[in-house]
Amino acid sequence: MTKDRSGILQGTLDLMVLKTLDAMGPLHGYGIARRIEQLSQEVLVLNQGTIYASLVRLLQKGWISGAWGASEHNRKAKFYSLTKRGRKQLSAETENWERIAGVMGRVLHLAARR
Amino acid sequence: MFDALRVVISRIRGCFRLRRLDDDFQQELDSHLVLLTEENLRRGMTPEEARRAARVRLGGVAQLRETHRELHGLPWLETLAQDIRYALRMVRKNPGFTAVVVVTIALGIGASTAVFSVVDPLLFRRLPYPQDDRLVSVGYLGPVDNNEFNVTSSYFDWRQAQAAFLSLTAMKPASACDVLVGDSPQQVKCYSVTANFLETLRIVPVIGRDFSAEDDRPRAPTVALLSYGFWQTAFGGDPKVLGKTITLNEDPAQVIGVLPKGFEMPQLGDVDVMLPARLDASLPRSANSSSFLRTFARLRDGVSMEQAREMLRPLFQECLIKDVPAELRSEVRLVVRSLRDRQIQEVKLASWWLLGSVLALLLLACTNVANLMLARAEARRQELAMRAALGAGRGRLIRQTLTESLLLGLLGGAVGCGAAWVLLRLFVNLAFEEMPRLDQARIDLRALLFALAGSIAAAVLFGLAPALERPRAETLVGWHVAGSARTLFRKALVSAQVAISLVLLTGASLLIRSLGKLENQALGYQPEHVLTASFALRRRRYLPAAAQTTFFDQLEAKLKRIPAGGSFALSDSIPPRGSMGRPYSNLRISGHPPVARDGGMVEFRWVTPGYFQTMGIPILSGRAFDEAERASGESPVILSASLARRLFGSENPVGQQIELDGNGHWCPIVGVAADAKNNGLTAPSDPEYYRLRMKGSDRGTGTGVALFRTSLDPATLMRWVRREFAALDPTLPVKIETMDERVDRFRERPRFVAILVGLFAALGLLLAAVGLYGVLSFLVARQTREIGVRMAIGARPRDIAWQVQKHAGIWTGIGVAMGLAGSFTLARTIRGLLFEVSPTDPISLIAAVTVLVVTAALAAWIPSSRAARVDPVIALRSE
Repeated sequence: MTKDRSGILQGTLDLMVLKTLDAMGPLHGYGIARRIEQLSQEVLVLNQGTIYASLVRLLQKGWISGAWGASEHNRKAKFYSLTKRGRKQLSAETENWERIAGVMGRVLHLAARR
Repeated sequence: MFDALRVVISRIRGCFRLRRLDDDFQQELDSHLVLLTEENLRRGMTPEEARRAARVRLGGVAQLRETHRELHGLPWLETLAQDIRYALRMVRKNPGFTAVVVVTIALGIGASTAVFSVVDPLLFRRLPYPQDDRLVSVGYLGPVDNNEFNVTSSYFDWRQAQAAFLSLTAMKPASACDVLVGDSPQQVKCYSVTANFLETLRIVPVIGRDFSAEDDRPRAPTVALLSYGFWQTAFGGDPKVLGKTITLNEDPAQVIGVLPKGFEMPQLGDVDVMLPARLDASLPRSANSSSFLRTFARLRDGVSMEQAREMLRPLFQECLIKDVPAELRSEVRLVVRSLRDRQIQEVKLASWWLLGSVLALLLLACTNVANLMLARAEARRQELAMRAALGAGRGRLIRQTLTESLLLGLLGGAVGCGAAWVLLRLFVNLAFEEMPRLDQARIDLRALLFALAGSIAAAVLFGLAPALERPRAETLVGWHVAGSARTLFRKALVSAQVAISLVLLTGASLLIRSLGKLENQALGYQPEHVLTASFALRRRRYLPAAAQTTFFDQLEAKLKRIPAGGSFALSDSIPPRGSMGRPYSNLRISGHPPVARDGGMVEFRWVTPGYFQTMGIPILSGRAFDEAERASGESPVILSASLARRLFGSENPVGQQIELDGNGHWCPIVGVAADAKNNGLTAPSDPEYYRLRMKGSDRGTGTGVALFRTSLDPATLMRWVRREFAALDPTLPVKIETMDERVDRFRERPRFVAILVGLFAALGLLLAAVGLYGVLSFLVARQTREIGVRMAIGARPRDIAWQVQKHAGIWTGIGVAMGLAGSFTLARTIRGLLFEVSPTDPISLIAAVTVLVVTAALAAWIPSSRAARVDPVIALRSE
């Protein structure tokens, strides 16, 4: 499993970005980063720049699309939104993640009981 | 899977928009920073603090951009672009170095590409038949013909009983035929083939149909297939030609189809019209066993050539007894060989040798460039060490050096393609007449691919040596630490060059010496000042033997009247070719025991009395024929010296009686003539006898050669002779040439090979000399200081020069030893190309070594004398 420079698993960050976009609708990079931090109850403090590597990967796979627009304070910002393929991918990945998380939980629980 | 592809596509697109994406990203980061700063301000930070905290939160902008760029483009492509840019800069900045490298490589690539384009159709390219590697030529190989033949009766038996082939097919030898298309008569090349001929080759007519079994029955009405070319020229490619009737040899023939464009006869003959052979199995065996064929076959799947030969052997033995005269049996063997070998047998060895020697030349060129690159790497050591110290990875440095050599290699290759084009013109002009498939030699895609592959291989070869050198930090301060290993490598390269060059030189000197022997050998006749005019009477026009006799008598009378200022003769054939030959065992001499059964072949010719004088063949004993005898009933015979010796030993043959054809007709032997080369120039001559052409005789009149020994300008005489022939039969093709030209044709092939290998050897020698010179100069330059010290403490210039020479001597010596070993190893392969010269001929070897050593000494002399002139004061001050 490859880690990027933030120390988070690449795929994990990508999935979080996808989920955020799914929940919030179109967002700019700053918004996504803030949202992830808030959702993790500030447990996860990102080096916010790392979000962009994740965005480029997702763009290249065609799971999200990006367009320039105006932010809430009328500033120019690039907004990302989930594509149809991205949504499909998200549900597949979520299912996958939950299964793995379940398995991991059971395994770790088992180990702890011993 | 699809996602991966999508990523690659998007990355490739990214490559082209890198700058825009970069600017975009910068803007995005800017706006991100602004938003972060605003948030920090809301939390109550001072603007200064807010901006700083925002930057920390976001992370290093430069690093982010770098990552972003890597994600967007294809990083290896970018480094490649960078390497190429760098390499181009090096190429531009060192025009002298670049020029030398490019010219050297261009020389190697050009020569090898040109040779490749000549030998590729011979050795490698597929023959124009489906599954061409399953096609074989089969038959008897006898003493008369270099190629295997067959006879009709054997063909019938083999076809019936063989199990090795999917099909066995036959063709008759080529014949010229007269075609009447509309009203205009033309002479074309005809081949008669059995019905399964095209089927065996797996060739289908472009229009119309193939021969059927019906067409091929004896006495079936004549049908014909036209070649594509003949169809175009004679009928303008009109498809309505099918079903039309053409007049062939004064008989009607119906056109049933057209052969595909580019169709080749399997023995590479030209074909205009193809006819069914209509072989007749009902004829008596004696008749069918004297009608000659060429037979080809397609191997059954899973049967190898060797297996096929063994499977056919019992049949061969059986038919040998039935069809081959007893006295020839021991000299006839079975041949099954690939169609390619059948086509190129004469030139196969020469082709491989040419290709081998030109590749050796390319190798020499590579070695030279490798040496140059090493010398330059030496000069760039500090630069490379600096780059390594600044963080360039080892792999990156190797890649960059290789990129540069690849660029040089490709440049050289491109120039080389131009050189190849020029060289190919030269080769084609030099090539001998019967060189097969020469018309197919061109710089085409295959040749260009060869050139490309050659350039890349060369670049890797010469680029790898400097690339593998590990830059060391020590070199930054100018210490010569890594040098010794590298100079050792360079010396080894020089020795290798000397070795390769010596192998080439030995080959060339052997071939040239062999050519010299060929040109200076005693022919047994004097070809100078002799003009020949040869012709063949076409069957139909001269069908009654009387018509031929009349023609010959009239021709003799007419030609005799030409004031050529010398002698004149008429023969049915002339040296250096033989005639059809007869078995030696046919001969009987009166009052002597029968001759040996296995005596090989004896040549014979029908000649007029002037023959010996005109050809310049001396009569050793007895006398020449005389004019008066021609009307007598006698059939006088003159023997060649070797035949006389064989038949009579030390006895005097003149006055003895000999029976020539086993027909009870005894002929008096009137003289003995000197031996003449009659089996080409290289093969040993056969014994020979001469018979006198009688007035009004119909013997030996199908073909003829008129001979003039003349003091006239050949061109003038040629005109006169042509006029006399035209007066008798304007449609008769006559080939007029001097005897010298005729003989010289037999030397064309060895000359071509010798010139080419000689040329490559000379170029190779030059390259080796340049290589030696380069390394020595380099060493002298590096040791200037040391030399200065030695001179300062009393060494004489002579000692210094001697020391440099000694170095050169050692490497050359090692190279010569390796080269000699190589030459001895390769000796076996060149034997077939040599005439009366052993492959380990000491004179050739000594000549080659001498040339090499002298050249090496010359190459070493310049740097050694430069070393001797070093001024100690300047040398010591310079560093």
